[in-house]
Amino acid sequence: MAGVSTKEIKSRIRSMESTKQITKAMEMVAASKLRHAQAQITSSRPYFHMIYGVIQDIASINKELTLPYLSTEKQPAHRVAYIVIAGDRGLAGGYNSNVLKMCYGEMNGRECTVLPIGKKAVEFFRARGIPLMNEKYAEAEDVSVGDCFSMARSLCKAFRKGEFDEIRIGYSTFVSVLSQTATTMRLLPIEPEASEEPASEQEILYEPNSVEVFENIIPEYIGGVIYGALCESRASEQAARRSAMDTATQNAEEMIADLNLKFNQARQAAITQEITEIVAGT
Amino acid sequence: MKSFHLSIVTPDGTQFDGEAEELVVRTISGDMGIMAGHINCVTALGMGKALIVSDGKKREAACIGGILSVIDGKVSLVPTTFEWADAIDVKRAEAAEEKARKMLDDKAHMTSVEQRLAEARLKRALVRKSVASSTNTH
Repeated sequence: MAGVSTKEIKSRIRSMESTKQITKAMEMVAASKLRHAQAQITSSRPYFHMIYGVIQDIASINKELTLPYLSTEKQPAHRVAYIVIAGDRGLAGGYNSNVLKMCYGEMNGRECTVLPIGKKAVEFFRARGIPLMNEKYAEAEDVSVGDCFSMARSLCKAFRKGEFDEIRIGYSTFVSVLSQTATTMRLLPIEPEASEEPASEQEILYEPNSVEVFENIIPEYIGGVIYGALCESRASEQAARRSAMDTATQNAEEMIADLNLKFNQARQAAITQEITEIVAGT
Repeated sequence: MKSFHLSIVTPDGTQFDGEAEELVVRTISGDMGIMAGHINCVTALGMGKALIVSDGKKREAACIGGILSVIDGKVSLVPTTFEWADAIDVKRAEAAEEKARKMLDDKAHMTSVEQRLAEARLKRALVRKSVASSTNTH
């Protein structure tokens, strides 16, 4: 006999079966949440692109460099605020660690404050001793559009007061069901994309005046971008969890098949031995 | 009548994308009307009624917060909330109004932030109600 009793193998198969059931269930939950998150992305993406496009157009046409929030000098920022969006739970493949490590890597050597969204982000940065702005958004699942806008308002206020030189956001882009990439993006100060031609030759009329318009639209813009990033991240999380759980289920199946084979071999060996003993006995 | 390209996009999706002849929205400094051939212009939206004339048909909506930009004849309206008058849930707006009024009744126990939020909520409810009722009486 192979040394392992059939009973032992049987109990391992049973425990494998129950693990498989759990991963299978988690996969199905993630798949149904993913459908919902994907629908949310499809409806929010045009908004994300539109609001980004409008602000880029304004920045590229703008010739008054004195406007608040627009970048005037190309100085490296010293005090950076990071909004980092991660998940509340693990078991989602590389979803949490990819975005967290990317942001952490970027922070290297700079004075950074983090506004974490999601429990995993809170834990990660707390463990590394990076100051957190607050922990109001520790539950990524519960953050609403309204929360995004109030976040944006308080960040803009802090930026205008000079508490930060730069505001960046780290999130996961939902490329497809099978691929999600961690991304970081600068929110403030706004800088027109270098290669871009001015969207129009004409100057822009600001109603009632440029400062007041900017004071109002920039928080809207930031809020919109945060909301967009949140939608992307949520869908990414579910997609990452779905495929991680799918792989786990497949692995469990493979192991079960393997153990079944071993079990049958052990059983057959026992039978053969018994027969031999009986035959030898007569 | 000359028309211009108008797109209205909110976080909940695209609400309008096509040719329009006229657009009137409430900005932070009052109502503003836009017709074809408008100069480049950017402004922030306030809370109020939006009127869109497209294909000769008038449509009204509650339009709250966000950005309006006209760049080279293309008009982009990017509000936080945008609801066509016929899609407004009047009962919900009334309930929100009542709730906000009740909250504002005991101002003493509120922080300034809470008070501001409640006031904003009340205003949104009132805008929705007025837009919905003005269309129904037409």
